[in-house]
Amino acid sequence: MTPDIRVSIAGVDFVNPLMTASGCCGYGEELANVFPLSKLGALVTKSITQKPRMGHRPPRTAETASGMLNAIGLANVGIDAFLTDKLPWLETQPTKVIVNVAGSSIKEYVDVSARLADSPRVDMIELNISCPNVDKGGIEFGVDPVMTEKCVSEVRAVFKRPIIAKLGPNVTDITAIARAAEAGGANALAIMNSAFGTSADIETWRPRLTNNRGGLTGPAIKPMALLMVDVVYRSGVKLPIIGIGGIATWQDVVEFMLFGATAVQIGTHLFVEPDSPVKIATGLKAYMKRRKLATVADLVGKVQRW
Amino acid sequence: MIRPSCEETRLLRHRDLSHNYFSLTFGPYTRAKECRPGSFIHVRLPHTDVYFRRAMSVAAIDPKKKEIEIIFKVFGRGTTLLSQFSKDQSIDILGPLGVPFALPKKNERVIMVAGGVGFPPLMYLATDMVARGYDPKKIEFFYGGRSEGDIIERTRIKKLGVNLHVATDDGSAGVKGLVTKPVEKFLQEHGDENLRMYGCGPEAMLKATNDLGIKYQTAGQLSLEAPMPCGIGVCLGCVVKTTAGEYVRVCVEGPVFNIGEVQL
Repeated sequence: MTPDIRVSIAGVDFVNPLMTASGCCGYGEELANVFPLSKLGALVTKSITQKPRMGHRPPRTAETASGMLNAIGLANVGIDAFLTDKLPWLETQPTKVIVNVAGSSIKEYVDVSARLADSPRVDMIELNISCPNVDKGGIEFGVDPVMTEKCVSEVRAVFKRPIIAKLGPNVTDITAIARAAEAGGANALAIMNSAFGTSADIETWRPRLTNNRGGLTGPAIKPMALLMVDVVYRSGVKLPIIGIGGIATWQDVVEFMLFGATAVQIGTHLFVEPDSPVKIATGLKAYMKRRKLATVADLVGKVQRW
Repeated sequence: MIRPSCEETRLLRHRDLSHNYFSLTFGPYTRAKECRPGSFIHVRLPHTDVYFRRAMSVAAIDPKKKEIEIIFKVFGRGTTLLSQFSKDQSIDILGPLGVPFALPKKNERVIMVAGGVGFPPLMYLATDMVARGYDPKKIEFFYGGRSEGDIIERTRIKKLGVNLHVATDDGSAGVKGLVTKPVEKFLQEHGDENLRMYGCGPEAMLKATNDLGIKYQTAGQLSLEAPMPCGIGVCLGCVVKTTAGEYVRVCVEGPVFNIGEVQL
């Protein structure tokens, strides 16, 4: 029996539960040089905004123990160039395409999403309402349940295909935000975005990032992300969860699924091991075979509590 | 374009070059022959507290034996761990990466400006040029460092037959002062010849070399270094601003840029 690692979220079928995390695979082309994208359940693009953004001044990344701090600042080509220069190539790729959308106003989220609504090849959009690295926008829509619901529902009005709301850990109660996203009409939740963090060089006395602080990612945040997934999964929110946070191995994927994730996104680890999705898929199948699991969905939420 | 790949290889030779400089040769590395002077590789250290790979410029290759050599100086935890690698220990290499140096024209006299640990790609370039039949006597290899200990592999460079000019900050080897001083003197004396400059080294040295290139209208290329989490162009962590004001990625659009192309 060959284990079935396909998953389905909001009516969209994926060959496996492995997706790239936004901001960690560019627009896909560079990663496709390393392995065929058919090995991915979905490619999640960088955050797309209305206008092109250059991002913050370097240094905008720093290494930490088992992780990374970044404040790239949503550098991207903007929706016009994305539609003309990036999407046509993505349309040729044998994987699902999820476009991450960011904005500094609800109108920007709506406008960008409306432009994407015209392209049927965009299988889903993911609303980045939790980016910790921009002065204006992003996170302010994801820390307040009222704003979250408003942002999601207004985008819902212009984008009819599935919407993922990407939530962050930098909130008091993530379940309140998850409920708001559900009420606004989101079809899935991506949990979690990076955590706030900072670091300084003890010789220059300067923060390691010109933005002075950034988002912490990588294996360092995995336990936090697992807890966030767990909390939301048990909160009564019905939406499928896409787990994100320090996933580097197939064991990590199993762990996220046990706590309630239907799929996962691999982020920072793509920098360290760009072909890791291929290895993870192989490992996942072997594990399922050993545990005599017919489908990967059998793992979801099956953690045995003490 | 070259498609990079991850490959497990192992350490064949470990040389302590003294003064915290090390040479490691890995093999068999099937992509060795695809590396060019200016190319770099990204090595993964099997330690969780050193999360990112480390970008290492290629110092030499042996395409027949499928070997690749890197030379580095110990600066922090990553390079310390790398220096402690033992024979036969395996390592994951992502490569080959980056845009290599463009070779000069045969009628051009070449000025290479190497500073400290910036010398490996230029040594590789000089070696490659000599192997391709360029006259070594038309290569002026300016090599600078803080003190004598920073001027490594001198015999190896001399063996190529190039004209070696050494400068150290403290005068313990070669002339005293910044390496760009004798470079400028050379440019003043040979300004009417067909010249091409190549540089790799610390930021201040690169900036001075870039300024000299602009001042004396000497074309050439510089190899940059930047914090580089991914090496394949997806993280956007290693960007540098062009003179036109756009960000370009050191890992993909570089690490080699034309003189005058980027803001230093």
